Amino acid sequence: MQQSKAAVSVEVKQVIASLCKMLSAVGLEEVPAPETFRRAKFGAGPEEDQFWKLLSNILQTAGIVSCEAQAQFGGEHCKLVAAGLWQTGYYADWMFIKEGGGGGGGEERRCSSRELLLALGWLIAEGTLEKLVSQRVKKLDRTLFTPMPVNSQFPTRPQIDSSSLRKLQWLVGSLRHQNRILLSMQEERTHLLHAVFLASLSYPESSFEQTSAVLKEDCVCMRGLCELLESYLNWKQVEKVFWTWMGSVLDCHLTDPVVVEKAPHTLRGSAKVCHHGNRGLEKMENMLQRLPTRQKGQGRYRAFAEDRGGAEALQAGSDTSSLPHLLPSLSTLHTFPQVYRARLQTIVLVKHSSRPTDGPCGGAETTDELPASQATQLLLQMEALLLQRRDTQRLANRMQMQEVVSRQEDLVLIPP
Amino acid sequence: MSVVTVQLGQCGNQVGHELFDVICSDALEDQRKGYSTASCERFFHQTAHGELVARAVLVDMEPKVINQTICRSAKSGRWRYGETSHFSQKQGCGNNWAHGFCVHGPRHRDVVEELVRREVERCDRLAGLMAMMSVAGGTGSGVGAYITRYLRDVYPKSFILNHLTWPYGTGEVIVQNYNSVLTLAHLYHHSDAILVHENDTVHRICSQLLNIKHISFTDVNRVIAHQLGSILQPALTTDSNGIYSRNPLGELVGSLACHPEYKLLSVSTIPQMPSSSIAYSTFSWPGLLKHLRQMLISNSKMEECIDWQVQLPSASERTRTLLGSSFNTSLANLLILRGKDVYSAETGSFEDPALYSSWLSPEEAFNVWKSPVIFNKYEKSATLVSNSKALLRPLDNMLGKAWNMFASRAYIHQYVKFGISEEDFLDSFTFLEQVISSYNQL
Repeated sequence: MQQSKAAVSVEVKQVIASLCKMLSAVGLEEVPAPETFRRAKFGAGPEEDQFWKLLSNILQTAGIVSCEAQAQFGGEHCKLVAAGLWQTGYYADWMFIKEGGGGGGGEERRCSSRELLLALGWLIAEGTLEKLVSQRVKKLDRTLFTPMPVNSQFPTRPQIDSSSLRKLQWLVGSLRHQNRILLSMQEERTHLLHAVFLASLSYPESSFEQTSAVLKEDCVCMRGLCELLESYLNWKQVEKVFWTWMGSVLDCHLTDPVVVEKAPHTLRGSAKVCHHGNRGLEKMENMLQRLPTRQKGQGRYRAFAEDRGGAEALQAGSDTSSLPHLLPSLSTLHTFPQVYRARLQTIVLVKHSSRPTDGPCGGAETTDELPASQATQLLLQMEALLLQRRDTQRLANRMQMQEVVSRQEDLVLIPP
Repeated sequence: MSVVTVQLGQCGNQVGHELFDVICSDALEDQRKGYSTASCERFFHQTAHGELVARAVLVDMEPKVINQTICRSAKSGRWRYGETSHFSQKQGCGNNWAHGFCVHGPRHRDVVEELVRREVERCDRLAGLMAMMSVAGGTGSGVGAYITRYLRDVYPKSFILNHLTWPYGTGEVIVQNYNSVLTLAHLYHHSDAILVHENDTVHRICSQLLNIKHISFTDVNRVIAHQLGSILQPALTTDSNGIYSRNPLGELVGSLACHPEYKLLSVSTIPQMPSSSIAYSTFSWPGLLKHLRQMLISNSKMEECIDWQVQLPSASERTRTLLGSSFNTSLANLLILRGKDVYSAETGSFEDPALYSSWLSPEEAFNVWKSPVIFNKYEKSATLVSNSKALLRPLDNMLGKAWNMFASRAYIHQYVKFGISEEDFLDSFTFLEQVISSYNQL
């Protein structure tokens, strides 16, 4: 058992190493060492900075965060990363705490490196890696043909008569022939490249260097390209192990949340307890304000978790830790996105039945199906409730504002 | 870019030999290096001693013709066939398509494939395969259809052009119509384009234009080879930017046969005359093109019997009389001009939309290739490869005769005994009827 565990951990390390290799092949700077990933799984530590940098690097290189935004955020990795992740559809508590926190108490609101690791996992699962690779390939392979936008005018409503059909068949055939011609041209190009390569081998090295700086440059590019494609291939082959490991990270995160400002291991197994103390209420208000957007993010996040096969009780875990005081009626709200999607619903049902004691959500899942009429009713109730809450919130905000304004009025401005 | 030719059966081997002869003499005669290099690279490879060896595989079920062909090519002194690139057997197919398709084809498949593969590997880049055969006999048609199908599997990305010689209407072989129907129906599925020469037409060219008294197969084959050569020799296409096109078969197929229901190509060349008269004749491009255009619309393959009465139909006529008019509608045309002052030739008359089907515009349907090199001693020569209704009538005749025989079950047992059932016949009939109806709708 021990041995197999050790073997697994060695394998994981190799897999992460291959990921790191690929990340640097893609052109990212300052990629953390594989060991850093391992330590990040266990939470707080000095690794955070590296991950902030990595995430912001990825988001910038992939073009998720624009240059203007970059300039706007200045050197603040955290804001930039939060904004970028938000755009990719990722949600995590820490993103909002940062935003809501404003200037003061920044130190207190830091998030653990494990959370950042999860965010990295999300980005990879989202296909950012492929985006980076294809961007890099385009940069390296200068012979690559970038298709010109062809402005072909098609009738908005296609005519289904025999002559249009024949014309269409002709065009399809013509395309097929052109494809074949292109393929054979590619073959010929490979032949010629090979011939050039052989010829370059037969020249003495020095004359080769002098005569063909361009060729040399091309050679470097090609090598980079080969390296990149090879590392991507390697990664694709071992990716599964990485996701299993990521699943364990997520598990770890759910059963054992790291709270940065406190000792990391004191809260083991206390997922249902509010560990934020007095801030709980404030946080809930915050959450309520963002509820509609939050659902969207959460839905995606859940899909992500299911895709990767890890951490079944994501919802239960994160909800209980972040929203311990939600009303039962509110908790049913979280099941609604599943009502529309049969697949999700069954998965979630299984999920909950396997962990029946998890969180307040468990109570809402007593029946297998929710009839449409009932759902409508619930939704209406929910709407009323939310509207009410919104109004209350608005009122509170207005009061607060008035208070601030009245305080401002007391001030006397003395010109210098 | 090279083309590998597969010569099948007696006819295929003889026509193939003439083709290589024409191409070789044309390539060596010309002083322009680019042209002859391109031509030689396309059809020959050079041995260490500088000999030209045809990129060809010879296949027949009888040894006689292959031996003759190889001997004649060696005697020419300019080029020869590869020493080991031929395959023959002792016993032929007895003009039975089924014997070739079901017995000889599968039995010798691997040997032939190996020969073809060797030739293909000698090419720097394969432009495509060209299979040459007749449709009347047993070996060319039966084995040819089988080998074409097999080559399509082995080289799915390559272009495959079939050159077919259609038999005399009066008949050389009693079951030629059966063989033709089966061959065409099978090739239609696997070939990219089917280039057709009719013996009757070529025979008339020999007698009326070339004034040959006693016409032999060699004369007929020379005419075919001349026409084929003028298509396949290097030429400048619209987008080749002054460099000889690298992919002759691809460009040919791509400009003429993109639609899966229309693959039959016919050829007409102008001028054709006895070699003794060539020196005393002068031609002008407008004159040649005017004749060629009238040959196209009146569907005559010879200058001599052009029907000048046939006119382009007006728009209203077109809708009224789809059938029965003598006007020959084209789906697509490829005009190949070779010779002096070729760049001054005005080809606008071929771009009239009335020449073409309603659903394909002339820009897509018409292409021109040009080459300033004099081809086969003709100062100016124009060849038109046309995907049109031209072959509709002979095809219809062939199908009708075959159907009449089939209706009385004549000779069917000869095919059934090798594994071609009546259903196979019926499938082929139906398929060709579909082709005919498609061409009729042009």
